[in-house]
This record gives sequence, C-alpha cells and structure tokens, in this order.
Amino acid sequence: MKNIKLFTFLAAILILLVACKKEENNPSVAETGTVKLMLTHRWDANNSTNFLLDLPLVHPVTNDTLTFTTFNYYLTNVRLKKADGTWWVHPESYFLVNLSDTTSFELAIPNVPIGTYSAMEYTLGVDSLRNVSGAQGGALAISNNMFWSWSTGYIMTKAEGISNNSSSGSFSFHLAGFEGPDNVVTKRTFDFITQIPLTVKNGKIIEVHYLVNPMHLWDNSPSVSVLNNIATTGNNAKVMAKTFYNSIIFDHFN
Amino acid sequence: MKYSSLLVIGFSFLVFFSCKKESTTPTVTPFAFVKPAHFPAPNYTFVGNEVTQDRFDLGKQLFYDPILSLNNTVSCAKCHDQAHGFSDHNIKFSNGVDGTLGERNSPALSNLAWYPNFMWDGGVNHIEVLSVAPITNQLEMKETIANVVAKLNASTNYKTKFKKAYNIDLITDQYMLKALGQFMGMLVSSDSKYDRVYTGKATFTASEENGYTLFKTNCVSCHAEPLTTDFSFRNNGIDTQFTDLGRGQITQNASDNGKFRVPNLRNITITYPYMHDGRFFTLAQVVDHYSNGIKQSTTVDPIFQNTTGFNFSPTEKLDLIAFLKTLTDNTYLANPLYQK
Ligand code: HEC
Ligand code: HEC
Repeated sequence: MKNIKLFTFLAAILILLVACKKEENNPSVAETGTVKLMLTHRWDANNSTNFLLDLPLVHPVTNDTLTFTTFNYYLTNVRLKKADGTWWVHPESYFLVNLSDTTSFELAIPNVPIGTYSAMEYTLGVDSLRNVSGAQGGALAISNNMFWSWSTGYIMTKAEGISNNSSSGSFSFHLAGFEGPDNVVTKRTFDFITQIPLTVKNGKIIEVHYLVNPMHLWDNSPSVSVLNNIATTGNNAKVMAKTFYNSIIFDHFN
Repeated sequence: MKYSSLLVIGFSFLVFFSCKKESTTPTVTPFAFVKPAHFPAPNYTFVGNEVTQDRFDLGKQLFYDPILSLNNTVSCAKCHDQAHGFSDHNIKFSNGVDGTLGERNSPALSNLAWYPNFMWDGGVNHIEVLSVAPITNQLEMKETIANVVAKLNASTNYKTKFKKAYNIDLITDQYMLKALGQFMGMLVSSDSKYDRVYTGKATFTASEENGYTLFKTNCVSCHAEPLTTDFSFRNNGIDTQFTDLGRGQITQNASDNGKFRVPNLRNITITYPYMHDGRFFTLAQVVDHYSNGIKQSTTVDPIFQNTTGFNFSPTEKLDLIAFLKTLTDNTYLANPLYQK
C-alpha cells in the first residue's frame, strides 16, 4: 500500500515535470555553430582601395570624384543549402549595413546546425512582404531612416555624398522598389566549390567573407554630372541597384 | 488503493492547473473590434496588434498628444477633429508646425480598417505605417521618428503605458506606430440614418429616397455602398490641367495623373470643404459640379467623357443633398470612446 502510494506520487511528479516541460528553458540538444558574413567594402576595378566614407574617391570609369557621407544597404533572408539539397533558413533575417558603423559589417547567424553547406543565398533589399505588412522592428525600424513615408517602402540602398562633378555639388541615390517592373530586390546565390564547402562545427564560428564594391553602382549608370539624384522608383534606380547587387563576390572562408 | 487513485486525480488537477497558461484561451474581453453586420470584411484585422483596451487607450493618447510634433505644438487631432468627422476645422489647407500651410485638404477619418491604402494618392499602404507621413512631413508635424521615440522614452507616463499595452521596457517606433494604428483601425462609423435604412431599421423621407435613387444611379460606380467608396483612383473632372498629379505621383504613370482616391462620404455634411484641395465649400457646389461642371482632360473618368455632367433638375439636386445628409453619423461624432 505504502509503496503504491509512493509510486503514484513519484509518477505524478514525473507527469507534472513532463507536462510542463514546454514552459522551461529547454537548452537545445542539437549541435550548432555560428556563421558570420564578413563584408569588406572596396573601391576600384580590382577591389584594391578601401571604400570609406568622408574620403574623396575617383570613379575609374566616370572619373567623378565622389565623397560619400552615407552608405547604407539592406542584406536579408540568409539561407544555407544543405548536403541533401534542401535549405536551412535563418529566421528573422534582416540586416542593415551602415558604412559609418563597422560593427554592422559582421552579420552573425547563430544556431546553424552543424554540417556542410554547398551554397549561401541572401537577398539585397527587403522582400515585398515586409514592405506591405505594417510597422516593423529591429533593422527594419523606421527610425533607421531607410523608409519612404510618402510612397510606402524601404529604401534598399542609400548613397549620399558630395562631388564637384555634380551641378548641385552633391549626390543622393535612394534606391527603392519592391514590386512590379521597378523591383530592385535581388537574390544572390553563392555556390561554394564542392571540395571546400561551408563547414559549420559545434560551438565554432565560421566566417564567410564577401567583397562589396559601391563603384559598381555606376556600371551602367551615368556620371553624377548627368544624374545626381534618385528619389523615386523606376528604371534609374533599378539599373543602379542591380549592377551594385550583382557585383558582390564571395572571397573566402575563415 | 482507493486513496492512491484519489491522489492521481488530485495530481491530474495539479497538472491541469500548473499548465493552465498553455491550455486555456483568454476569456472574451468586452473590448474588441466589431465589424458592422452590413459591412464587408475589413482589410486590417489587427494581426500582431490584437485589440486591447490598453493599446487602444495608448493610441488615443498619442493621437491627441502634440508630443509627436516638433516643439510639441501640433497633434494629429488638430487636423483631425472628431467634431468634424476627424477632418480639419472647415479650412482648405491645414496649418502644421509654425503655422506652415499644407498642400492638400485634411480628409475625414472613419472606417479606416477597410482602406486598402491611404492618402488622396494612396501612397501609404498600411495603417500602421501611416503616422510616419504626418509626423515627418515638413508641412505638418516636422519631427523625426527617432526624436519622437526619445521623447516618449523620457516620459514615465508613456513608459508605463507601453509596458502595460505591449509589455516592452524600451519604447520603439514599431509599437508607437502599432498603437496609433490600433486607435485609427477602431474608428468605425456605421450608425448614420443611411446605415439604419440600409439595415431596415429606419426609412428615408420621400426626398431622401429620391436622392438615394439618384445616388445609386449616378454615384455608386465610384462611391460604392455601404462604405461609400470603392477605393479606386479616379478623375472626377474637376480640372483640365493638374497642379497636383495625385495618383500619378505615386505610380509615375501619366495615365494616373489627376486621379485621386474616391473619398469615403460618411459625415460629408460636416467635413467641408470638399475635394483634395478643398475647392468646394458646400454640397450644393459639389452637386453642381457633378450636374454641369465636369471638365475634360486626358484622364477624366470614362463615365464623364464628353459630358458636362448628369444634368440634375433643381429638385434632384436638393434630393441628392438630402440623401448625403443621411450619411451623418451622430453616434460616431459624439462617441466618448474616441474623445480625448
Ligand atoms: C497639419 C495637419 C495634419 C496633422 C497634424 C496630421 N494630419 Fe493626417 N492628414 C492631413 C492631410 C492634409 C492629409 C491628406 C494628405 C495627402 O493625401 O497627401 C492627411 C491624411 C491622413 C490620413 C489618411 C486618410 C485617408 O483618407 O486616406 C490619416 C489616416 C491621417 N491623416 C491620420 C493622421 C495621424 C494619425 C496623425 C498624427 C500622427 C495625423 N494624421 C496628423 C493633415 C494632418
Ligand atoms: C468616376 C467616379 C466618381 C463618380 C461617378 C462620382 N464621384 Fe464623387 N468623387 C470622386 C473622386 C475621385 C473624388 C475626389 C476628387 C478629388 O478630390 O480630386 C470625389 C469627391 C466627391 C465628394 C467630396 C468628398 C470629400 O470628402 O471631399 C463628394 C461629396 C462626392 N464626390 C459626391 C459624389 C456624388 C453625389 C456623386 C454622384 C452624383 C459622385 N460623387 C459621383 C469620384 C466619383
């Protein structure tokens, strides 16, 4: 009798524990590591110059002398391709890279399941869903000044500065557009060499380095003496954003 | 043995209660968004911003508080006064910070949860981001979002209220915007005489009835029932040349120049002046326009092509106005829920 009581008591406690487990902080048993996107900003045709704000830079093609005062862009929706061909998706994957804040050049993606990944994909710009879903937080907060209030939508890339080549003495490119023919949002997939995949190890950080070169804004766009301002969606914005986004290259792992 | 089964039952109860948080849904609160039975499904359903009294009250406090403007001088309510159907005080253009004049007439606000987009040109796509426009507009509140957030965080009153409403310790623009969005989404006008007739609870006078017939014949293709707008962008023939491109400014498509969102006509009697630039001060002028004043232009609506209007008789004009007056919703205009 006594034993049965004790047994029932213990069983009940066990039930209690199990039933309420969901509420406890249950440390994940899966082994994970951190992937860090490392963005290096360069200038010149062979990425030989550091791209910095408040420094006169000569564009190798247009010959404009450009001193950038602001350079911000969104990098979002990071995914990793697993060995079986399916994708691991980083949840809430929104980063605002701000050239005046070097900490924003390192995008940490924690809790990535260990293993090898054959490709990384991310989006330059903010997906259309987040442009139409009301007030957002974090990197997408409106206080980050990357938002149009008069025609709702995120400014995907913002480049501002001064230049004597511009008739106004300055330039301002707010590249936006998330739908239809004016969509600038660009998905990039980087396939890694089969022999050297992205390898995530338990508790370790693996860095994935990319070269980002704002010179490429002008691959198919004219000198600031011709076009010094973009403040609406349209072909000008699209051409400028696309050549820049498509120029980003994978450099190495670390 | 009996004893132990009792123990098991007892513990089962304990399990039930200790896990209560997970298993029971919150009891129905009396405070909720109620869709009027004769209205279609709303566009905004408060997803991620579920309606609570605390959130609504907070949104209302923000709406009436000039803290959202530079120098704390202009509140939303200054240009959107409940007594005027949440439009401005009978003026063409509103004064912003430092008395600066705006460029469009302040629209009346009601039934915003049904709007697919906002502003005369439809440039804003969501009720939660709407407030960014007036707050940052140089001709309106002339403030920065970051500044507003800093001011709110410096207020213990607001910190307490945001904590209560959204359970956040640090106020962010996201939640300020959600609170304002909630207040605006809850502004429902559905108890005008028109609504009561529509739902079989009242009857029109002969003149109103005749006006309603004229309205159904000539106006509902744009001012669709029961919301009195189909939310499309149209050129109703008020100009031959456009000083304000309207929808065209947003789409950058010349075929949209001079088009404006078909306005909601609720409480129209008291929301004068009329049109995006407040050019008409009386409903008689509006009706005269539709009767004989239509101007031709490249984008004038097909309904108005090659005509000066519907050519109403003097009685028809009066009947139409009598009908428009039934769109006044005194329950809405005097609703203490929306008062400061
Ligand atoms: C200085 C006057 C002024 C202030 C202050 C002001 N508004 Fe407005 N509001 C306007 C005008 C003018 C428009 C029309 C703008 C347009 O269409 O371009 C408008 C448009 C709107 C609309 C869109 C209505 C529709 O029919 O699409 C809403 C909603 C609104 N305001 C809410 C607010 C809120 C919330 C605030 C405070 C955060 C605010 N307003 C502050 C003048 C003002
Ligand atoms: C082709 C579509 C169309 C038709 C038909 C039409 N309207 Fe309009 N109405 C509009 C548009 C668009 C506006 C706003 C125009 C602007 O501000 O430039 C408007 C504005 C108004 C306004 C002013 C609202 C305000 O808040 O300023 C009133 C009142 C009005 N219409 C009544 C009527 C009546 C009555 C009829 C029928 C006799 C009618 N409308 C037919 C499209 C239409």
